[in-house]
Amino acid sequence: MHFLWDGLRQGVQLILHGNSYIVQLTWVTIRVAAISTAVASLLGLPLGLALGLGRFRGRRVGLTLGNAGLALPPVMLGLVLSLLMFPQAPLGGLHLLFTLNGVIVAQTLLAFPIVVALTAAAVQAVPAGLIAQARALGAGTRHVWLLALREARVGVMAAVIAALGSALSEVGAVVLVGGNIEGSDQTLASAALEQVDAGHFAQAMAIGIVLLGLILLLAGALTVLQQRGTVARVRVRAPS
Amino acid sequence: MTRDPDAPSTLLSASALCVQRDGRDVVRDVDLELRAGEMLVLLGPNGAGKSTLLDALAGMLAASRGRVQRSGRVAVALQSPDLARRSVAQNVELALAWWGVPRSQRAPRARTALAELGVDHLSDRAAATLSGGERRRVHLARALAVRPDVLLLDEPFAGLDAVTRAELLGDAESALRSAARATIIVVHDRAEAWALADRLLVLLDGRIAATGPPRELLEHPPTEAVARFLGFDGSLTEGDETLLTRPAHVSLDAEGPLLALVVRSIPLEDGVRLELQLDHGRLFTVAPIPGPRTGERVRLRVDGGVRFRTPLSTRTSVSG
Repeated sequence: MHFLWDGLRQGVQLILHGNSYIVQLTWVTIRVAAISTAVASLLGLPLGLALGLGRFRGRRVGLTLGNAGLALPPVMLGLVLSLLMFPQAPLGGLHLLFTLNGVIVAQTLLAFPIVVALTAAAVQAVPAGLIAQARALGAGTRHVWLLALREARVGVMAAVIAALGSALSEVGAVVLVGGNIEGSDQTLASAALEQVDAGHFAQAMAIGIVLLGLILLLAGALTVLQQRGTVARVRVRAPS
Repeated sequence: MTRDPDAPSTLLSASALCVQRDGRDVVRDVDLELRAGEMLVLLGPNGAGKSTLLDALAGMLAASRGRVQRSGRVAVALQSPDLARRSVAQNVELALAWWGVPRSQRAPRARTALAELGVDHLSDRAAATLSGGERRRVHLARALAVRPDVLLLDEPFAGLDAVTRAELLGDAESALRSAARATIIVVHDRAEAWALADRLLVLLDGRIAATGPPRELLEHPPTEAVARFLGFDGSLTEGDETLLTRPAHVSLDAEGPLLALVVRSIPLEDGVRLELQLDHGRLFTVAPIPGPRTGERVRLRVDGGVRFRTPLSTRTSVSG
């Protein structure tokens, strides 16, 4: 039990004293999470919209792959990616193995199916009549997608939050692709794992507490964006 | 044949139009022409292919045979009045954005359309808080606001209670009238058709069964099937002819020439609907309250109705 208490105490001290090790880990973690979530969203939102709203051959296969991607084992992805990134392997020329960029690529690939599958599910819940009416009044694909994104905002933001959560807390792919190199591509989650392996449980707890705080902060900010306007709607509906 | 140069221009036409859904012919050999200023009501029972025809005319569904020609832009108000999660005015402005109306024109055009449908006072309300009737009005306003050359409305009064429907029908009739626009309205309620139509098109089993001014069709339905669909529910076999009647054609009269047995009596708001069994047929009428009881014998007379030749297999002799 004293590990928990020590961890909490050390965590607070590390944060309060601006420990450079923690600051560096936090910065790397934020960079990895922000870039991988942004890229996964940039690529995943259009694909999720197309799969959720489109009517084309192969759509169900795409949805199945997206949903299967939700359970993609990070260790498996990390293993395959690291093998592909070996110097003589197909991606070797990109020099991504044991680099921060390699870690960002791995995290993006993990976050991508989350964004795709959850976005597709969210926009499928938009009333079909509204989408059909938009098309009947001349809306092009861009207008229909913007309408669906806005109508399914809560679900789409949940997809982005889930992708961010994955990028913040995942360790398997980070360690395999990045090598967990301190000062280079080590994140808060992979650093906590390293401390556990070394038997420094209090230190691991302290890093874990910082990570949890970061998750709460970022998820909280996104939740504010997600829920903006929804409370007013519920209040207005209530009297009827 | 020469064309009248003053005649309104044709905005929409279909020739030998056939449409399939799931490999099945739903609309067959439809020919129609719609001119500016005209209000055509498409009437038919459930499953007759009305919505499918509308989708094909709008270009939302491909024709399996035949062709559709459109002159100008076509807007469709679908049956379901789904609105986006924003204010009423923003919903109409959104439709104008879809239609390609410049941003500066959207707000005034939205206000005008909402006023035409009597819901301008709801402009700032969230669409989610509207009643069914209000949603229908905003849905119609959205379609009117885009000012299409051809407006297609799929059951715009569906799902409303009688009072709300009557109010909306009255307001919509004037709002929908435009000399520049051609309008097709799909309905399955005959009362709505009489209230709105310049021209009525009856669709039965995917084919045009009758077309013409509503009063003319009601007085001279071209076939027995059309007559029955238009409310000729009474039937008397007289030799090689069948007389079809509407309740208004039949009246109870102690001096009347026909004798009938009341087999059913259903109370209505303003009277009693009677089902009357005769030797050679069955008639329906509405009598003042309290009306005769079930099992009672009454005398009656028939004024009007339409006659069709009875198929040989169903002819019976008349006992009088």
